[in-house]
Amino acid sequence: MTNSMNNVDYISNLVESNFKLIEKEIVNKNQVSYIIDKESVHSLLTFLKTNGWIQLSYLSAIDWPKENKFELVYIVFNWEMPVYIQVRAMLDRNNPVMPSILPIFPGCKYYERETHEFFGIKFPGNPDHEKQLILEEWDEIPPLRKDFDPRAYSDKKFAKREYTEDFVNLNGQESKQIIRKQRKTKIMNVRKGGKK
Amino acid sequence: MLSTKFTKMTKEEVDRKWWEIGDFFRRNSLWMLMYCTGCCAIELPPAMTSAYDMERLGMGPMATPRQADVLLVTGYLSLKTLRRLIYTYEQMSEPKYVVGFGSCTINGGIYHDSHAVINQLDQYVPVDVYVAGCMPNTEAVMNGFVDLMDLIKSKKANGWKDYHKRYEWYLENQKAALGEVRVHDEFHE
Ligand code: SF4
Repeated sequence: MTNSMNNVDYISNLVESNFKLIEKEIVNKNQVSYIIDKESVHSLLTFLKTNGWIQLSYLSAIDWPKENKFELVYIVFNWEMPVYIQVRAMLDRNNPVMPSILPIFPGCKYYERETHEFFGIKFPGNPDHEKQLILEEWDEIPPLRKDFDPRAYSDKKFAKREYTEDFVNLNGQESKQIIRKQRKTKIMNVRKGGKK
Repeated sequence: MLSTKFTKMTKEEVDRKWWEIGDFFRRNSLWMLMYCTGCCAIELPPAMTSAYDMERLGMGPMATPRQADVLLVTGYLSLKTLRRLIYTYEQMSEPKYVVGFGSCTINGGIYHDSHAVINQLDQYVPVDVYVAGCMPNTEAVMNGFVDLMDLIKSKKANGWKDYHKRYEWYLENQKAALGEVRVHDEFHE
């Protein structure tokens, strides 16, 4: 079975007969995505690993502040059958804890450290997960959370270069910005059915 | 009529003469340490290889900070990199010069509102020459190097002296941005 839709069908059969999925999506013939509850992630990953998905390609998170959730994404890859499988699980945003998958994929060590650093998700079972990796001496909420304001942080922390406004307006011309703004209001007016 | 009388030079004058001689050789054989942090680094390969051939100016790459004269900071610097950059800068032997590439080192460029990247390099280490652009043209890069040589010739490339003189100020800025300048990671423990 090389590179055909059969692969995806095969995987769907395999996974669906063994696990209860919350949601499933076939992205294309090389990618499928499963949402599964938090407790079954370990067994699903173990199952996939024994079936040939031996490589953990990526592990990260997505912040959904409106739903008050973090979505963890594990991507695993099989070298015999070219299909990426995304395993997704929802975590509570107020207390994001996910047991580490270190026993299954030892390579997750650094991904988990990174995810902890950027989202604040805890991975008990990974002894290093709280060590700093990329952001050293970070003193704010984790920066990839949507409620973090990078501009305010940058303004607070890093000196900005100050420029003097030393340009001159030759011949007293009208400012191009004002002209542009006028043109825009005119266009909007016409678009809404106003007079030209 | 020319006087044949020989006046002995004072110590300062002798020193100045030696510095002038040293500067002559220094500016004609600048060895650079490339700290390729950002995308501006892509302008260095054409500047070094046959297209612009910086070796005709006597410039060449150097592997260690101890032996390098010029530190090229090519682009944005995250806080993590800034720590290592300060380490590198302090390891270089004097006289040392710094060239900042691209708008990122001048005022933050397109990363001016990022949480990870500093905005103004000269707050943390003294910069002698800036090459503006995002990214700067290779001609501009070469021009920046020639400018640096002119500055050395006219004794205006004094960033390293300034670092001595205003060390407190630099240290304060470094601490404000970094918390602590010392590196704590797996490789330094
Ligand atoms: S100035 Fe532009 S090209 Fe240079 S490092 Fe910054 S973003 Fe990249």
